[in-house]
Amino acid sequence: MAASVWLHNHATNLARAARSMAASPLGSLMTISVIAITLALPAGLYGALENAQKQVAGWEGKPQISLYLTTDGAAQDANPLLQQIRALPGVAEVTYISPEQGLKDFQAVSGFREALNVLDENPLPAVIKVRPGVTAENPQASRQLFEQLQTLPGVETAQMDLAWVQRLHSLLELGKRIAWVLSGLLGMAILLVIGNTIRLAILNRRDEIEIIKLIGGSDAFIRRPFLYTGLLQGLLGGILAWLLLIVAIALLAGPAQKLAELYGSGPLLGYPSIVTGVALALIGAVLGWLGSRLAVARHLRDIKPR
Amino acid sequence: MITFHNVFKRYEASGDALRNVSFHIEGSQFVFLIGHSGAGKSTLLKLVSAIEKPTRGQVIVNSHNLNKLGNRRIPEFRRGLGIIFQDHKLLHDRTVFDNVALPLIVAGTPHQEIQKRVRAALDKVSLAHKEKVYPITLSGGEQQRVGIARAVVNRPALLLADEPTGNLDPDLSDEIMDLFAEFNHHGMAVLIATHDLRHIHRLEKPVLELEKGEMVWDDDEDEDSY
Repeated sequence: MAASVWLHNHATNLARAARSMAASPLGSLMTISVIAITLALPAGLYGALENAQKQVAGWEGKPQISLYLTTDGAAQDANPLLQQIRALPGVAEVTYISPEQGLKDFQAVSGFREALNVLDENPLPAVIKVRPGVTAENPQASRQLFEQLQTLPGVETAQMDLAWVQRLHSLLELGKRIAWVLSGLLGMAILLVIGNTIRLAILNRRDEIEIIKLIGGSDAFIRRPFLYTGLLQGLLGGILAWLLLIVAIALLAGPAQKLAELYGSGPLLGYPSIVTGVALALIGAVLGWLGSRLAVARHLRDIKPR
Repeated sequence: MITFHNVFKRYEASGDALRNVSFHIEGSQFVFLIGHSGAGKSTLLKLVSAIEKPTRGQVIVNSHNLNKLGNRRIPEFRRGLGIIFQDHKLLHDRTVFDNVALPLIVAGTPHQEIQKRVRAALDKVSLAHKEKVYPITLSGGEQQRVGIARAVVNRPALLLADEPTGNLDPDLSDEIMDLFAEFNHHGMAVLIATHDLRHIHRLEKPVLELEKGEMVWDDDEDEDSY
C-alpha cells in the first residue's frame, strides 16, 4: 500500500472518529469526563505532595541546632565559644541567648511568671542557637555538624529540630507512593471505561464489521476506527484533566496561600505546567489506545460473518 | 476456479449440511447452483468464500487451498471474490458511492483510482446518478444493483451470489441476471445459488444441483467438470 494511501486512510479514520464522537456528544463527553477526573485525581495528589516535599526540603536544609551550655559556666563569658562555633564550616548563623534572656522569654510565653519569680536563681542554661548554612543543607552534613557541636567543651546537650521534618518527609514520600499506586489502579479503571465504550461501539457496528470482513477488510483495517476513537477520547480526557487541575488549584489558592504564610514557606500549591498538560494528554491517549486495543482484540474475534 | 473434493460439512446443531460433494468449475464459467431450501446451497457458498471451513475434504478456490488458508490471509483471499447477498448488506449510514468504494478502500486503492472505478461500476448497473444518495432511499432492485456494483468494483475473478433475485419481481430479476451474464462475458467466473429455475431455462447455463446435502448429477453431463 502506498504511503499516501496509508496516510489518507489514517486521516479518514481520525476524521471519522471525531465525527462519530460529535454525533453523540453527551456520551462522548461523559466518557471524556470520567477519564479526565480519573487522571486529575492522582495527578493533583502527586503534584501537591511533590510541591509540599519541595517546601519541606527547604526546611530540612535549615534545621536549627540548640546547644544548652553547662550551668556552671553560665557566668563565664560565652564569647570564645561563640567565636569557635562561628569559625566552623557550614555554620550560617549563631544566636546567643543568655540565661536572663531565656528566663524573660520563658516568662513571657509560659504564664509561669509568678512561679518563676519564687525561684532564687535562674535555673535556665545559656543557649546557643546555630543555623547551618547552605553547605550543610543536606541531612548528612547537618548531622555531621550537629555531632561536632555536641562535643564542644561547655556544651551540656545539643538538640537538632530535624526529626519531625524527617518524619514529615517520610510521610510525604509515603503519600507519593500512594499516589503512584492510585495512579496504577485508576489507570486500569480508564482502560475499563474506554474498553466498555469501545465494546458498545463495536456491538453497534456489528453489521458493518461483518460486511467489511466479507469484502476482505483486514483486522487492522477494522480495528483502526476504534483505536482512533479510544485514542481521541483519552487525549481529550487528558487535556480536560489538566484544565480540571487548574480550576481546582484556583479554587484552593486562597486558603493555601494563607497557610503558607503562616508557616512562612513558599506557595503550597503550584499550577500544573504546560509540560504536565502534554504529559496528561499523552498518558490519556496511550491509555485510550490501549483500552480500545484490548477491547477490540477481545470482541472482534466474536464477530464472524454469517 | 472452484474445486470441491469429497467435501463434508457437519454442524453440531443440525448435522450434515454437505455430504461428499465433489465438483470442478473451470476458468470463467457461469454456473447455477440449484436445490430446495435447506439442500446446502448457502453452506456451499460459505465454504467457497471461506466463511466456513469444511469438516472434511478439500476446497480450492481461485488457486487458494482453503484448507491451508490461515485466518490472516482470508482478507486477501476475499478481495479476489465479489459476493452478493440476498439482503444486500449495504451500510446505511454511508452514501451509495461510499458503499461501492468500500472494497477499494479496504484494499488500499489510491484515491483517484477509487473515484474512477466506483463511477464505472455504478455506471455498469445504471446507478451513476444515485451516487450521493443513501441506500435507504432506493428501491429493492436498486439496492441490489448497488450490492452488485460493490461486488464487481474490485474486478474480482469470481462472483458469488446467494439468491440475488429472491426479493425481486420477475422483470427486475431478469435484469439482474442479465447483468451477471454480462460480467461473465467480460471474463468473470460466476456462481449463483437460486431456486428460481426460470433463469436456468432462459440463460442456458450449466447447473449444479444439491439435494439434502448431496450432489445430484445430470445424466448427459460429464461427472467432474462443467
